[in-house]
Amino acid sequence: MFVSILRITKFAGQNFWRNFWLSLITISMLVLTLLTINVLLVLNLVTDKAIEYVEQRIEVSVYFNAGVEQEKVTNTAGYLRDLPQVRDVETITAAEAYDRFQVRHAGDTAILTSLEEIGDNPFGPTLVVKAFSANDFPFILSALDNPQFRDAIRDKDFSSYEEVISRIRYTTDRIRLFGLGLSVIFLLIAMLIVFNTVRMGIFTHREEIGIMKLVGASNWFVRAPFLLEVIGYSLLSTVIMAALMYPTIAFMETRFDSYFDGQATHLLQYFEMNGWMIFGAQFLAVALISMIATGFAMRKYLKV
Amino acid sequence: MIRFKNVNKIYPPNVVGIRNVSLHIKPGEFVSIVGQSGQGKSTLAKMLFCEERPTSGEVIIGGWDITRIREHDVPLLRRQIGVVFQDFKLLPQKTVFENVAFALEVAGEPIKRIRQVVPQVLRIVNLGEKIDRYPHQLSGGEQQRVVIARSLVHRPKILVADEPTGNLDSVNTHEIMELLKKINEFGTTVVLVTHNRDVVNTLHKRVITLEGGQVVADVERGKYRL
Ligand SMILES: Nc1ncnc2c1ncn2[C@@H]1O[C@H](COP(=O)(O)OP(=O)(O)OP(=O)(O)O)[C@@H](O)[C@H]1O
Ligand SMILES: [Mg+2]
Repeated sequence: MFVSILRITKFAGQNFWRNFWLSLITISMLVLTLLTINVLLVLNLVTDKAIEYVEQRIEVSVYFNAGVEQEKVTNTAGYLRDLPQVRDVETITAAEAYDRFQVRHAGDTAILTSLEEIGDNPFGPTLVVKAFSANDFPFILSALDNPQFRDAIRDKDFSSYEEVISRIRYTTDRIRLFGLGLSVIFLLIAMLIVFNTVRMGIFTHREEIGIMKLVGASNWFVRAPFLLEVIGYSLLSTVIMAALMYPTIAFMETRFDSYFDGQATHLLQYFEMNGWMIFGAQFLAVALISMIATGFAMRKYLKV
Repeated sequence: MIRFKNVNKIYPPNVVGIRNVSLHIKPGEFVSIVGQSGQGKSTLAKMLFCEERPTSGEVIIGGWDITRIREHDVPLLRRQIGVVFQDFKLLPQKTVFENVAFALEVAGEPIKRIRQVVPQVLRIVNLGEKIDRYPHQLSGGEQQRVVIARSLVHRPKILVADEPTGNLDSVNTHEIMELLKKINEFGTTVVLVTHNRDVVNTLHKRVITLEGGQVVADVERGKYRL
């Protein structure tokens, strides 16, 4: 048994080397197919990250009337904090609002002089509310319409990030669809190439195969080398893919992180933690599909 | 050992391979099958090692019913039958030793047994000295002897030889025939398909003549007669 497995491995290796260029093409095509799949995977991760990034920046500013009692502001802030949808409430006192305005318009003397002309602090305190999800804002806004708070509130301003998010989603969904289509096409081409490689392998080994059959080699002994060969292709292409993937991800991560204001995307970490599963699953899938293609080729060209 | 009962072989769509053949070959016999080209000799020979199956009738080889044999029993049957074929060649990139060893390797035989059996059968065919040569370094007769050696590795009960001397001159033909006789004397049943009149006439063994796929003569100690 063991010696048979050894010999089958030897025959599979011979198939590989004798049709070296075909083997190379087959592996390249499998790598290409895996590449599209992995690009999709990374795209998914980055999209999630981008949406999370944007969502974290969504906030509602609640402006109180100038001169409102501090207690009212504290109560409102407390009420909001107790809402399960609210992630964080930041209180900006009237004085802080005044300072911020000054800082923001530091270069604009006209505005600053008119501010001084007013004399009094025209700003009221402000609450800056952050939610866990962009979907929660309508609820939070309507909660503030409660008469208990309504009268003290001058204005609410909801920066409309929803549009940004839906634009990200729209774009990535289209890219994803395109990528998916491309993956399917590549996969089909890869299967055709695997089929053809096995067909050529059977063709170049027809004398050996003829002899094998006549001297009483069992069917699996004739077939196993071809199956083993495509498992080898799958393994090799997955390893090549993984070897290309890690440095690329590491490089991309530095780019993305600066894009997201230094907020870590943890892409590499994700691949390091789930690498065995990600590439293991890809290997299994490619091996399985290649073996099916091999099965078809053997059924058609390898009469036993 | 070998029994054909009303065997027909029709190649699709309607080419007659053999027609209504019944015969019995006993263990240890040496049988020549003769006939002109296209009369069904190879068809009959191929049925002996299950390369072709009868369209109707019954073929029994050493206890196996070819008509009903299970797919995974075919290799087992073939290990009991040595085959030397017209177009059944050696692998050019393998040495004599490797060519013969190949038949054992693919049957899952351990290396120890291969090292023991291969030189043994090569001595039987008188090629013990040329074990490391490649086929192109051998004469036609020597190549055919390697093929015969390879067919012997499983110690077959039956040896089927289809035109083993087809491409050989008379000296080499004589050598091969002596070899086949020797194998037969060791107890192997030999079925020889041939065109060669002299070969048949000097054998003085049973001769079965085929014509149009039918057995038209079956003579003990026969002559080549057409
Ligand atoms: N695989 C096949 N498919 C269709 N017809 C075949 C096949 N093999 C043989 N035949 C036909 O069956 C008939 C018998 O062929 P076979 O090979 O048995 O003849 P033969 O006696 O061996 O001839 P030769 O002496 O030329 O080798 C021929 O008419 C041949 O054309
Ligand atoms: Mg013939």
